[in-house]
Amino acid sequence: MSLTINTTINGKSVSGSAEASTSLLEFLRDTLEYKGTKLCCNTGECGACTIIYNGKPINSCVTMAADANGAQITTIEGLADGDKLHPVQQAFIDTGAVQCGYCTPGYIISVKALLDRTTQPTPDDIEEAVSGNICRCTGYTKIVDAIQLAADKMAGRS
Amino acid sequence: MAKAEYTVLGTSIPRQGGVERVIGAGIYGIDLALKDELHGGILRSQYAHAKIVSIDTSEAKKVPGVHAVVTAADAPDVRYGRTYIDRYMLAKNKVRYMGDPVAAVAADSPAIVKQALKKIKVVYEPLPVVIDQEEAMKPDAPTLHEDMPLPKNLPEGVKVKNVCSYTPVHVGDPDKAMAEADVVVDEVYETKMIHPQYLEPRIAAAQVEPDGRITVWANAQAPFGVRTDVARLLGVPLNKVRVLSTELGGGFGGKASGITSGAAIEPICALLAVKAKRPVMIVLDKAEETISTTIRSGAKMYIKTGVKKDGTIVARQGKVVYDAGAYSGFGAMAGARCTNMLGGWYLMPNCHIDGYVVYTNKQVCGPVRGPGGPQAAFAVESHMDSIAAKLGMDPVEFRLKNTPKPGDKIIGVPKLRDVSLGETIKTAAEKVGWGKVKLEKNQGIGLATGSWIESAGPGGGAVVKVNEDGSVTVHIGKIDMGTAPRFGIPLIAAEELGVPVNDVTVVNVDTDASPWDAGTVGSRAIIVSGTATKLAAIDARNQIFKMAASQLEASPDDLEIKDKQIRVKGTPSKSVPLATIATNAHNIIGEVIGRGYCDNVAMMAEEKARGSSQPFTAHACIVEVDTNTGNVKILKYVAVHDIGFPIHPVAVEGQIEGATAMSIGQALCEQVVFDNNGRTMNPSFVDYLMPTINMMPRIETTLVHGYPGAGPYGAKGAGEIACVPPMAAIANAIYNATGVRITKLPLSPENVLRALKEAGKA
Amino acid sequence: MDYFEPKTVTEALALLAQYGAEAKVIAGGTDVMVDIKYKEEPGCLVNIKKIPGLGSIQENGGSLRVGPLVTIRDIETSSIVRERLGVFWDSCHQFASLQIRNTATVGGNICRASPSGETLAPLLVLEAKAKLAFADGEKTEGFNSFFQGPGKTTLGYKGLLTEIEIPYPPNGSRGIYLKHAVRGAMDIAMVGVAVLVTPDAAKNGLQDVRIGLGAVAPTPIRATKTEALLRGKPLNAALVKEAAAMAASESSPISDQRSSAENRRWIVEALTRRGLQQSWQAATGKEVV
Repeated sequence: MSLTINTTINGKSVSGSAEASTSLLEFLRDTLEYKGTKLCCNTGECGACTIIYNGKPINSCVTMAADANGAQITTIEGLADGDKLHPVQQAFIDTGAVQCGYCTPGYIISVKALLDRTTQPTPDDIEEAVSGNICRCTGYTKIVDAIQLAADKMAGRS
Repeated sequence: MAKAEYTVLGTSIPRQGGVERVIGAGIYGIDLALKDELHGGILRSQYAHAKIVSIDTSEAKKVPGVHAVVTAADAPDVRYGRTYIDRYMLAKNKVRYMGDPVAAVAADSPAIVKQALKKIKVVYEPLPVVIDQEEAMKPDAPTLHEDMPLPKNLPEGVKVKNVCSYTPVHVGDPDKAMAEADVVVDEVYETKMIHPQYLEPRIAAAQVEPDGRITVWANAQAPFGVRTDVARLLGVPLNKVRVLSTELGGGFGGKASGITSGAAIEPICALLAVKAKRPVMIVLDKAEETISTTIRSGAKMYIKTGVKKDGTIVARQGKVVYDAGAYSGFGAMAGARCTNMLGGWYLMPNCHIDGYVVYTNKQVCGPVRGPGGPQAAFAVESHMDSIAAKLGMDPVEFRLKNTPKPGDKIIGVPKLRDVSLGETIKTAAEKVGWGKVKLEKNQGIGLATGSWIESAGPGGGAVVKVNEDGSVTVHIGKIDMGTAPRFGIPLIAAEELGVPVNDVTVVNVDTDASPWDAGTVGSRAIIVSGTATKLAAIDARNQIFKMAASQLEASPDDLEIKDKQIRVKGTPSKSVPLATIATNAHNIIGEVIGRGYCDNVAMMAEEKARGSSQPFTAHACIVEVDTNTGNVKILKYVAVHDIGFPIHPVAVEGQIEGATAMSIGQALCEQVVFDNNGRTMNPSFVDYLMPTINMMPRIETTLVHGYPGAGPYGAKGAGEIACVPPMAAIANAIYNATGVRITKLPLSPENVLRALKEAGKA
Repeated sequence: MDYFEPKTVTEALALLAQYGAEAKVIAGGTDVMVDIKYKEEPGCLVNIKKIPGLGSIQENGGSLRVGPLVTIRDIETSSIVRERLGVFWDSCHQFASLQIRNTATVGGNICRASPSGETLAPLLVLEAKAKLAFADGEKTEGFNSFFQGPGKTTLGYKGLLTEIEIPYPPNGSRGIYLKHAVRGAMDIAMVGVAVLVTPDAAKNGLQDVRIGLGAVAPTPIRATKTEALLRGKPLNAALVKEAAAMAASESSPISDQRSSAENRRWIVEALTRRGLQQSWQAATGKEVV
């Protein structure tokens, strides 16, 4: 049965229709054509589909599109300010943490959510923030570097 | 920092294509949407081994919204494959593993595809299933391929079944030398199937153009291979097929359609597009991928080594039984590598190893990141520690004692040029604190080495165009999945043409326009495309100099390009902008377009004559074993590599760190699990466990320098070699911590706990 | 698939009564969405997140009332849960990824009734009570009888979980939840062991002990024989060892793709021992000798 979804994505009011069985990920990618949030495991295990939903990072693949009604959603498309990249985006480029890049949007969203929670994340905070994001390319080392660089830049420590 | 003699080579520029990836641009195969497209889906076998008695698609065709349903009957009677041409794109007569494609549907929506697939009636006659490759070799095993011959080079009297390739390694007189050895160690090692699990699902999209050509989009590592397969399997000439590459969300040798008869979905998609007369796109589900696409094979390895009391290795005997899976795929090549590498990369004066690659009713071996190498190294490097233990020798000293020198030969390599193995071992030992670090109870330290010769085989070309404004467009035949094409390749073009790196664009592959390439595999991107790009850029530069020479009243040999200006060396005032020459080219030679090709034959000949310049590596780690649960935690991990001259150091580190992580996964948590019927029991990420950040150590990478390779500027391939040592490094550390040698992967908590209990240590 | 967002419990119950086995309740969706995609679409999906009053944590004298829509993350960030119901907090702290914890609900984890559900053994050990609503009235049921089999609870098809009440354990108690996995929080537990100890006044032995086992039986279970063995006796290493072995024998695990049954029994033994040692240490400051 078809539902009308009225939501706010990256500060903009957006409407679309979806089935009750449609996931928020499908709604973003297929209905609204926001391709930045990526499809991978489709079971909530890999974090490639991470978005910020009412301030919290969640897996959009296991969330109903219907639950977007009335919600404030941030996707990767909402981070850059025109041509100016968000410091987290820039840090991922600067540290070589982007190889194939498929996990990158999900990571950047998780990290932005982390740095919204704390400006000085401990190693435990970082681990908590991104344990649910799988990367198959980097082995994680440069991703940790990117997170620390982004935190420092955003807090004016570097 | 750039190496002194270069302008940009050796600097880690931000990855080209980085901005698109951090803003989430829709650049990947899965982001494609063709106008008017239908959705495609594949029906896969319900049995691991069965005859197909009949397929009835009539009900499926009647489902509203279905535009095409195809089976083998709708395609030419043509097979594809690598070692053996043994596979249909849609199964005909038989299915040989549960992921085997049997039929396909194109329909208006994924829901209708699902509905229609359910209505395809396939009648199977189940046959006995064989999962284990040693069982499959036995003379009374079920026959998987009735019409595939046994390898011609099998020794007389060897009675086996289902063997699709045999590799003998024989050096010296191993029987005699073994009999004369002071100490002999005889062990058996086993690794399991793992899946490369790139994050972006595989897709294919196809449409028939108005002129009848077929355009195929693929997130495949070998677009020209895809073109070959589509043309061959649909029975059309190559010029009627055009393959456009998308960006790839990972590949690791698992998206190498065209290189192996792994899981070619592109020809199926093309067939649907032809039959439906509409564009079709297939997107695989990750769980579907685990059961159907190409994998890293399991291997059973018997390894026996004789040594002198002083630690000198005198002989090795062994056997490799390598699992090809249901079709020959990449099995023969990977199995041959594994067999050769079981001889190790130390001095080995006498050696006899028999390597068998065997069909089983399981997923097919692909060229997955260092195919054959990690398996062999798990055996070889664990075994080295077992020998050291029996001798009472330090494992590092034992390895150094047997490390070859320049000019020496090792198994499979008649002559080595420079050998970095010793330096990597010593550096890794020092970095991890070997002999110095204080270990607590249940902590252990382990080291393992490796080597990986970049794959031989055909190379590829490059075309470098200098545009009228002096900007540069580079065409290579390799794709971007995070390796050289958008890291090191732009640096090479910029270096040779004296232009800023940001003025260089490397474009994606279009088989109509790009130079032919064997595929983005085998640690070959910097070597093949790098060499080709260098030569193409030099060719372009020569054209530029020839045209500029007359204008500058100088000889072409006296010219240089720097900062987009062509000038006379030593007289910088005598110059002309690159853009001027490039524009004027329209009137003289048409355009500045340089061509280069990596001449693989010449490269191999030079390696043979001068000695192999293959890379070496040593990894070391400290682990802590929870002897109550079997959990293994890696506390410290160092990876030391010789990658020749690193054209883009951060890219090289990234490959090392990523490959290391992949093999840490194989060591600790990854395996494809089967039941007795050949059903994959853990297809989704819920139970196919890949390493997450909370279980990974920081990987500390060190590059050693001074050992130039066969690649451009002395580069060596970096994409695969770091996969080779980690499993043994961890197993050796567990042995050091507990005294228990575990010879079967994965080193999962259960397997570790069981081994500890069997040894009375828990 | 029909879809409803009832605004009251009564409305929801009417839908469940109407659709029966065809209805599926969805809260966070981290399990149900996967079912919809990969198993069956139910005839009717009932989204209960619009029902007010089901998402709060409230103290109620000697117990805590937790609404079913409280997320796992809400529990993880609740200082009252961490202080007073540590074993429950522990399980929520080891519950998959942050993304999942932000969405998954306590009610969802409970009603899913997976034998390996993270919160189940802890809630069993805390002797939580479930408030169940049916079209014909409400009832309160102890967790010890709520679970009936994998995926089965006394809710049946027509009931709705409206509250979980968790009594605070006696003063001086300490508990721990230990999860056995390859990748820590990220995996589905191969084994889960929840231990709660209440030392006697002299801090010599256990006035009370409760041991809950997850993923080793068709439902989460209490190791009642083991508890009886331990209760009222001075606690020493030999007794802990004996108790751990008995806990393993009380479990009836299966072999599956995650673990063999044999390994699960080994781990029950290991984690029961460790759980007793660590809870005792936390409660008394003393090591078990």
